[in-house]
Amino acid sequence: MGLLRQLVMTVWQIYKMIRRAGDKRVAYRQVLRFTVRWLFPVRQVGQRFFFSLTSVTFHVAIIVVPVFLASHIALWESGIGLSWPAIGNGLADVLTVIAVGTAFLLVLQRAVATDSRALSRFQDYALPLLIAVPFVSGFLAMHPTWNPFPYDLTLFAHVASGDLLLILLPVTKLSHMVLLPVTQLVSELAWHFPPDAGRKVGAVLGRGEQPI
Amino acid sequence: MLTREKYSYYVEPAALEVTDRPRKFLAAFAAVLAHSNYGAALDTYCRLSAKCARCAASCQLYEASLESRDIPCRRSELLFRIYRRYFTQSGVIRARLFGGFTLTDQYLDEMADEYYRCTACRRCKITCPVGIDHGLVTHLARWLLAEIDVVPKALLVSVREQLEGVGNTSAIPVPALKDTCEFLEEEFQDLYDVQIKFPFDVDGAEYVFFPAVSDYLLEADTLMGNAAVMHVTGASWTIGTGNYDGINYGLFYSDRMMERIVSNVVAEVRRLKAHKVLVGECGHATRSAWFIPAFCGSDAPQVVNCMEYAHQMLEAGRLPLKGNRIEGRVTYHDPCNVARSGRIIEQPREILKAICDDFVEMTPNRTQNYCCGGGGGTVSIDEIRSFRTGLMGKRKAEQIRATGAQIVVSPCANCKKQLREVCEDNGLEDVEVLGLHDLLLKVIDLGVTEPAQNGAQHVTEPEPEMQRNPGG
Repeated sequence: MGLLRQLVMTVWQIYKMIRRAGDKRVAYRQVLRFTVRWLFPVRQVGQRFFFSLTSVTFHVAIIVVPVFLASHIALWESGIGLSWPAIGNGLADVLTVIAVGTAFLLVLQRAVATDSRALSRFQDYALPLLIAVPFVSGFLAMHPTWNPFPYDLTLFAHVASGDLLLILLPVTKLSHMVLLPVTQLVSELAWHFPPDAGRKVGAVLGRGEQPI
Repeated sequence: MLTREKYSYYVEPAALEVTDRPRKFLAAFAAVLAHSNYGAALDTYCRLSAKCARCAASCQLYEASLESRDIPCRRSELLFRIYRRYFTQSGVIRARLFGGFTLTDQYLDEMADEYYRCTACRRCKITCPVGIDHGLVTHLARWLLAEIDVVPKALLVSVREQLEGVGNTSAIPVPALKDTCEFLEEEFQDLYDVQIKFPFDVDGAEYVFFPAVSDYLLEADTLMGNAAVMHVTGASWTIGTGNYDGINYGLFYSDRMMERIVSNVVAEVRRLKAHKVLVGECGHATRSAWFIPAFCGSDAPQVVNCMEYAHQMLEAGRLPLKGNRIEGRVTYHDPCNVARSGRIIEQPREILKAICDDFVEMTPNRTQNYCCGGGGGTVSIDEIRSFRTGLMGKRKAEQIRATGAQIVVSPCANCKKQLREVCEDNGLEDVEVLGLHDLLLKVIDLGVTEPAQNGAQHVTEPEPEMQRNPGG
C-alpha cells in the first residue's frame, strides 16, 4: 500500500509538473528510451563491470524466484484464485543460491570499493543482507534434509523477513521498484520551468526589485 | 576586504556576511519549491537514491582527484540532506524526536565550494541507473546559494552588466560593436575581395543574431564565418542594437536571472519584428535560448543554432564551397550544452567531414563526451584556472592528445577559451582550438551569392524532435 501511495503521489506530481511547465512539449520518446534502457540494463554492464554484473544478476534472481516459484503461485491461487506458469524447483534453487551469493557480493564490493564505500549508508549494507534472509530460509524450508533448524522456525523466519521487507519497501531506497519507470520523466520535467517561477521567487523573497 | 578568503573563487562582500544565512537559505529553498518543478524531482531522488557510485566512474573530476567529495552522488546528497530534514514530514518528525542534522553556516560554505567544483555537464546523468540528474541538483543548489549572495564574482558582474549596465556581459557599447563589424567588413574586402555586410536593426528580418558577445572581442574568424554563411545563402538576418548578447549566465547560477535574460532576447526579436533567434557558436547560449518557449510561451520566436542553419544549407546544396579542404588532422569537441541531450550532434560532424581532409573522433564522443572542464560558467572564473585545466581538464587533454589532431573544433565560446587553456597548461601548445565557422570561412566560395529574399522562409523547419527537450 505504501508503494502504491508513492507511485500515485509521484504520478500526481508529474501531472502537476506538466501543468505548470511553460513549455509542454516533452521528448517522451527519449525519456522512454532511457527508461527502457535502465529497466533492462543488460547493455549497461560494461561500466564498473563486476559490480554491474553482480547487480543485474542479483535483481534478476530476486524478481524471478518469488514471483515464479511454484509454491508461491499455489498460495496466490488458494488466496485469490490467480495463477501463472511457474519455474521448476531446480531452477529456483539455482537462482536462490545466486540471489544469496550476489547479495553478499554486493555488500562486499560496496565495502571494498573506495567510491561506493564513501557514499554508503547503513541501509545500503543492511538491505542486501536482509533480502538474503527470506531466500536462505526459503531454501532451507524447501530442503528439510539440509535444514538444521525446526521447519516452523524456518518458515517463520521466511515469512517474518519477507514481511519486514514489505514494510521497509516504501521507506527505504527499495521504493525504486515502483518509482524506476517514472524517474527519467521526473528528471526531464524538472527542466521544464514554469514561466514565471523566477519572478515569483524574487517577489516572495523581496529581492525582485533589488539591484543585482 | 579580501573577497577570496573563504572560497576558491572571488565573491562580493555580501557573500561573506554570515548573519542568519541558514534561515535565509531555507526561506529561498521554500520559495523555490513552491513555485518551481524542482520539488518533485528532489522528492523522487531522495526516496530512491541507491548510492551505487556508478556516477563516480563517469565523472572526469573524480577520475582525476579520487576525492570522495567529488563523487556526483555525494555532492547531490548535500542538498538532499537539507531537503529531507526541512521539507519532508518524516525529516521534520525525526528531527523533533532525535535531533540530528541542522543547517549551519559551515555547511553552506561547504556547499558553496562543492557546487562550483561541478561543471553541471550532466555526463553522470546518463550513467545513473535510477535517473538522478546531478547536473539539475547543481543547477538548483547554485540558485539557492545565489539567493544568499554566494555567487562567483565573475558571473555576478557579467549579469549585472548585462541587465543593469551597458546591456551585455562584455560591456561592449553599440559604437564599439559597429566599429568591430565595420573592421570585419573591411577584412572581407581586403582578404577575400568581397563586400559582406553585418546588417544592423533590419526590421522584419528572418533571423536576429545572438552570438556570445565575447566573440566580438575574441573570435573574429567565427563571426566572419557566420556572416559568410548568411551572405552566400542570401539569408535575411540582422544584429539588433538593443540586445546583441546570447550569453546567459543565469543558466549557471539563477533561474531568476535566466528568465530575465531570455525575456530580453525575445523582446529584441519582437522590437525588430523579426521571426527567429539565430544563436552563434555558443553552447550555453543555445541551451538557454531553447528555454524561450518555457519563459515566453509557445508563440515565442523559434530558435536556430548557426550550426543547424549551416548544416541545413549544406544539405540543401546551398552552401557553395571552393573545393579546397582543411588540411591536417581535425577533431571535434562536443559542447555539453548542445550535445548531452542529443540535439546537435551530427550536424557539425557532417559539415566537418565535407570540408576536412582528416577528421577524427575523440573517444568517447557525442552524448558521452567529456566536458571541456570549464562548463557551468567556471571558465569565466580566472582564479580557478589551475583547477580547471588541472584536475578538471586532465581527461580532456588526454582525449585530445590521443587523437593526434592539430585542430580541435569546438563551436562554443566557453569551451574554446577553456580548451585553449587546457592545451597551454597540458603540453599541447601546438594544438589550435577553433570554431566550426572559422573553418567554414576558409572553404566557402564567397563569389557565389543567392539573392536576398526579404524575410522569406529560407530553411525548412527543424524536425519536431529537435524542437523538444530543452533540459534533457
